[in-house]
Amino acid sequence: MTLHALWPHTALMTVLAGAVLMAYVAFNGMLLVWLERKVSARFQRRLGPTEVGWAGLLQSAADVIKLLAKQLITPRHVDRPLYHVAPVLVFVPVLAGISLFPFDRHLQLHDFNIGLVLLFALAGLGFLGIFMAGWGSNNKYALLGAMRAVAQNIAYEIPLILATLPVVLLARTMSLREVVEAQQQLWFVVQQPVAFAIYFIAAVAETNRAPFDIPEAESELVAGFHTEYSGMRFAFFFLAEYTNMTIVCMIAATLFLGGYIGPSWLPVPGWVWFFGKVYLLLLVMMWLRWTFPRLRFDQLMSFAWGVLIPLAIVNLLLTAVAIKVWR
Amino acid sequence: MAEIWGEPAPRPLAGNGDDTYYLNMGPQHPSMHGVLRLLLHLRGEEILEAEPVIGYAHRAHEKMAENRNYLMFLPNSSRVDYLSGMIYNLAYCQAMERLLGIEVPERAEHIRVIVSELNRISSHLLWFGTFLLDLGGVTPFLYAFDDREEILTILERVTGSRLTYSYGRFGGVTQDVDALFVEQTLAFVARLRGRMPDYHALVSDNVIFRHRCEGVGLIDQATALRYGVTGPCLRACGVPYDLRRAEPYGIYSRFSFEIPTQPAGDIFARYLVRLAEMEQSCRIIEQAVAALPAGPIMPEKQKKRFKPEVGESYFAVESARGHFGIYIVSDGSELPLRLKLRTPSFANLSAVGAVLKGTMIADTVAILGSVDVVLPEVDR
Amino acid sequence: MSVLVRLLRGVWSLTLGLGVTLKNLFRRPVTQTYPHQKPELSAAFRSAIALVDFPASGSHDCVACMQCVNICPSFCIKVEGDKPEGLKRKRATVFEVDYALCSLCGLCIDVCPTSTLKYSKTYDDVGYRRDQFVYDLLTPFRAGEAAWRERARVAAVEAAQPASAGPAAAAGEPEVGR
Repeated sequence: MTLHALWPHTALMTVLAGAVLMAYVAFNGMLLVWLERKVSARFQRRLGPTEVGWAGLLQSAADVIKLLAKQLITPRHVDRPLYHVAPVLVFVPVLAGISLFPFDRHLQLHDFNIGLVLLFALAGLGFLGIFMAGWGSNNKYALLGAMRAVAQNIAYEIPLILATLPVVLLARTMSLREVVEAQQQLWFVVQQPVAFAIYFIAAVAETNRAPFDIPEAESELVAGFHTEYSGMRFAFFFLAEYTNMTIVCMIAATLFLGGYIGPSWLPVPGWVWFFGKVYLLLLVMMWLRWTFPRLRFDQLMSFAWGVLIPLAIVNLLLTAVAIKVWR
Repeated sequence: MAEIWGEPAPRPLAGNGDDTYYLNMGPQHPSMHGVLRLLLHLRGEEILEAEPVIGYAHRAHEKMAENRNYLMFLPNSSRVDYLSGMIYNLAYCQAMERLLGIEVPERAEHIRVIVSELNRISSHLLWFGTFLLDLGGVTPFLYAFDDREEILTILERVTGSRLTYSYGRFGGVTQDVDALFVEQTLAFVARLRGRMPDYHALVSDNVIFRHRCEGVGLIDQATALRYGVTGPCLRACGVPYDLRRAEPYGIYSRFSFEIPTQPAGDIFARYLVRLAEMEQSCRIIEQAVAALPAGPIMPEKQKKRFKPEVGESYFAVESARGHFGIYIVSDGSELPLRLKLRTPSFANLSAVGAVLKGTMIADTVAILGSVDVVLPEVDR
Repeated sequence: MSVLVRLLRGVWSLTLGLGVTLKNLFRRPVTQTYPHQKPELSAAFRSAIALVDFPASGSHDCVACMQCVNICPSFCIKVEGDKPEGLKRKRATVFEVDYALCSLCGLCIDVCPTSTLKYSKTYDDVGYRRDQFVYDLLTPFRAGEAAWRERARVAAVEAAQPASAGPAAAAGEPEVGR
């Protein structure tokens, strides 16, 4: 990391950009909640929120106000340090992660030359917070949920990373912006469809979305690791989950779908393409959630270790061999 | 309380000294089972012992029957198992007709068959939706309820009620059906048959669903017979026992229908049996509609007060969950001496308690859902 | 190889499921937007019982026979009656139904000898207290009760006179209108 970020005008711009990103995260959370409710309703042939604001758009705002106004109840026998730090530890890494992406050719907070590694390192901090939440809640259900979540996240982290390595091999860089630039001619999804599929499935599992939502299985464990959280603390977990979803979709769009690159004959700025792809992938994630039942925990684990990881390794080896042969 | 029930089994509060622990599933639980408490003794995710604790939904139906005359029990009958409310209501009427020796007109018999089978389909549709909900698939619930809404609308047009019907009387039914009812019923049958491919594509063929259900929750034939399991759970163990065929009541002997049976005894077998039963109910409805005669819906001479002779009678029907039996003991007065309800979910639930040993928590919900237990029917 | 085949079959089954939900995404929602859209009630819809207002007589025809009170399984009907001057049959002076207990079984309607009970059609009655649901069924009839009793007394007197024949005799006590 160079020192030019410490120059005054760049530092100011950095801080401003950071503030914009935080605002985006909050706005995105509200948008995704509304979108999820509307999309799930339409899949189920009902309407979703319609009363608050046109087409229910202000419903998320109303929900946020409600969450802010809720009493913060701390159950008596929780492990206080763990209980209070957990939501923060879950939320802050995703916030940091979102600041790494190139939203357009010249619209990026800072281009780290190890951007991809940094992203996955930040993602790894998240489930530490989940386990702290489960353990600190002093609740058997929460503990069960947290242990399941940690095992699941660790297991699916591996195919997630393995699926992105072929892209690194092809682009010969780990900087996110240069990976996008390397897709000027052809998006990597065309060259690496299997990697994209593995990545997307692992991403769905990483974010604890159905069909991999055992840690939050409402019908089994009430609410999993965030059972004992209410009000704004619950909102943190919720926001962290949706932002995490957005981040994994942004990674997919950046690495496989060409980021901010779109057909040049359309006079549309790059970030429109970027966000368009991200939200398209988010819609697909929602589509998956509302179609499939849940995988049982051991099936989930054996799917990761027995199917995804071998596939990812084979794919990586084949890619490496192909690159060696063709260059 | 200890002097009445005896000392409860000692359950240590803080750790057992080994690596097992106790977990209460219920009585308040998001799963759609009603107020059932499952006391689970667990090691990690594996269940060592499961004890169903019931009684949270006890409403004293049988005691109420002793304090009301025979006619006044009619609204209670629907509420014992409110998902098969019509079947139970008509079962009580038929039990009384056997006790009193009343003959039912032909038209009423046909109407009873049609509405009973519609009720059976609506119960199975609800089961389908809630079973998938327990497994994590939210959407089929909405689709099933969309179809079920059609049935409830049809029945509401005729009876005025959607869930708990007070439709039968001793000797017939209260309201007559018209041509629009016939038309709507046949349209619904066609619509349901058109939806089944969607259900199969969305659920039955789904690989995730199959993995959750195949080979899980095995109730073998011997266990089922020992616990008195009846209904789709028994037929999914390979025993083709259906009261409509084994001990026909009403006019069921006139209709041709199959008894869907599956050999496996696991969750998937029970699922397939219920889906097939919906199709068979459609067949029965079509035949009953085709044979619906004109005529009265109540006998000509209707009594107002009922005083059966001293004696007892047992009458059983095939409800959506299994063998539902009503045992009435009359002492010659207007109030029954004893009215005992043999509900299928009671036996099915006790079999589940035995079967859960050795399974995992995540399977508990699936197994309970597949057995289709309605708690109010267990507790009465 | 069979592992791969099973995997592909599994993926195909998932795709079919996705197709079903996608198909339903574009179908019209079945929601009825209450309260913007009010429900259409069928003729058989059951709500709290009410007394029928017969056009021929201009009032209800409850004769306080107590049959509904005796048959109600929830014991929620309360009826009191008196014998109006000059009439053979009794007439209800108090008719209360505790709707919070009513199970809409319809036995009271079945058993009423003058068919003066019917289901009402209100579905949106709300209240904060239980006693708000003790309905007084005679409220719509109180204003015209004195006039009805007078008409009935006059009609009974006319019917009792042996000389009058024809229309007067045919009138008698106001009969039930169906």
